[in-house]
Amino acid sequence: MSCLEAAGVRKRFGGLHAVDGVDFTVEPGELVGLFGPNGAGKTTLFNLIAGAYYPDAGTIRFGGDDVTRFPAFRRARLGIARTFQVVRPFRALSIMENLLAVVASEGALSRTPEQDALQLLAGVGLADRANDPAGSLTLGMLKRFEVARALMVQPRLILLDEPLAGLTDGESAMMLRLIESVKVRAAVVMVEHNVRLALPLCDRAVVMEQGRVIAQGTPAQIRSDPAVIHAYLGDTPEGG
Amino acid sequence: MRFAAITVAAAALAAVMPFAGVSVYAGTLVYYAAYYLVLGQAWNMMSGLTGYVSFTHGALAGIGAYTAVLAINGGWPITLALVAAVAVTAFASLVIGVTSLRLRGTAFTFATLFFQELLLLGVRKLPAAGGAAGTTLQEILPTSLPHVLMVLTAAGATIAFALLRRSRTGVRLLAIKGDEDAAAAVGIDATRLKIGVFCASAALCGLAGGIHALFIASLHPESVFSVDTSIVALAVPLIGGVETALGPVAGAILYVGLREILQIVAPSLHLVIVGLLILLVTLFLRDGIIGAARRLLQRRRTYRAALETAR
Repeated sequence: MSCLEAAGVRKRFGGLHAVDGVDFTVEPGELVGLFGPNGAGKTTLFNLIAGAYYPDAGTIRFGGDDVTRFPAFRRARLGIARTFQVVRPFRALSIMENLLAVVASEGALSRTPEQDALQLLAGVGLADRANDPAGSLTLGMLKRFEVARALMVQPRLILLDEPLAGLTDGESAMMLRLIESVKVRAAVVMVEHNVRLALPLCDRAVVMEQGRVIAQGTPAQIRSDPAVIHAYLGDTPEGG
Repeated sequence: MRFAAITVAAAALAAVMPFAGVSVYAGTLVYYAAYYLVLGQAWNMMSGLTGYVSFTHGALAGIGAYTAVLAINGGWPITLALVAAVAVTAFASLVIGVTSLRLRGTAFTFATLFFQELLLLGVRKLPAAGGAAGTTLQEILPTSLPHVLMVLTAAGATIAFALLRRSRTGVRLLAIKGDEDAAAAVGIDATRLKIGVFCASAALCGLAGGIHALFIASLHPESVFSVDTSIVALAVPLIGGVETALGPVAGAILYVGLREILQIVAPSLHLVIVGLLILLVTLFLRDGIIGAARRLLQRRRTYRAALETAR
């Protein structure tokens, strides 16, 4: 059984078909990259999976459950966690409290949330900042912090919304290593603009344009796909 | 633990006042500080932690007051009457909460304002509650009873707030205040939590109102459901500092003291000055007197530590 199965998903904003009949699946343990030019509908699809809003048509199944009409918090409790394109920490709370606020997914309830949180923070290099207010972290730290907070959900699927956006080269390298380690714990869907850095990490890549999936396959297949080169990469197959 | 011990000790001291020969005047001031402290902590739980501002905490206490008086006049024992005050008020809060807390933003605040007005209009037309003339407690009770009960309730409310603030539920309420979408993304059921804490907060107001009815003995809809009490309920934590257990304590003591002085100096300006004070605190201290004091202490500590290392 697939981890995530979206079928015929549509979402319209006014006259704009942001997502226009997309089929999208993620297998357990898989890392799927979601690429496409600006306005392709990646983030909309992403939000439909996370439950930030509901599709106009189509169904979304997660681990066999139909979650199409489930609110975001219920999906999180089933095991779908996410990060945000623009980081959204609870700024007034400490890093530790941010993680303790998390409601772990059902069946993954832990007896030692503080220890779990410290372990996750150590994993993203923030253990020594546990008691600092979240508002005091740099962007690079906040991006890693959000991954730790999402992992606190103990998800089966984690959605990373542009994890590399705004990061320096050093921070990006750190984040890429982190994403590889996340893959061991959960299936990953990653929306990313930086194709050059993100594509090699993917087991499978899906490319969208104007609300539709125009190509999918292994990174090698994607790099040589004429539709992708035409629509997205333009004249520079290595660009991004 | 230490905090709870200090609170209990202070409460014990305040509770024995009527029996220790302290003047009725001083006892009354302590009583009112305790009453406003309960309302302030209740407001702090709901509005301080979730950011959903209530303008009806005074009216919630009014429901408790009316329930208690009608129950006692109907022959109920005081304990049961107070239980009824809590239950009826909690139920009334569900009516506001279930309708408006599903929405985000200001819907709740407007609902509380409407509720405040609606209640006043309703009670004035209700013959069973004495209508516009109000109602009076038939039983004569010593004021030491509500005094002790109110002080104990205030201590309980303060400890309850401190426990809530430190619990994961408290952290989740603050997460809702910070970013409701992000809260949902980490599995927090914001609607349920908001309604739950509002109900608990209202129950506390109901208890305070019920006890207060024993103290004032006669209820007039205009004063019981006056928006003034609701404003005091939010002024106390705002001035003292929201999100902390100590904030409303400082706020309640300051407010009662200030009101006494103003009643002599400028009786008609009392709410204006309180409003001004809230404005000044939110503009310049943000986290209230307790927050400012903490920052000052922190700065002195850092300064001392810097001096130590310089030597």
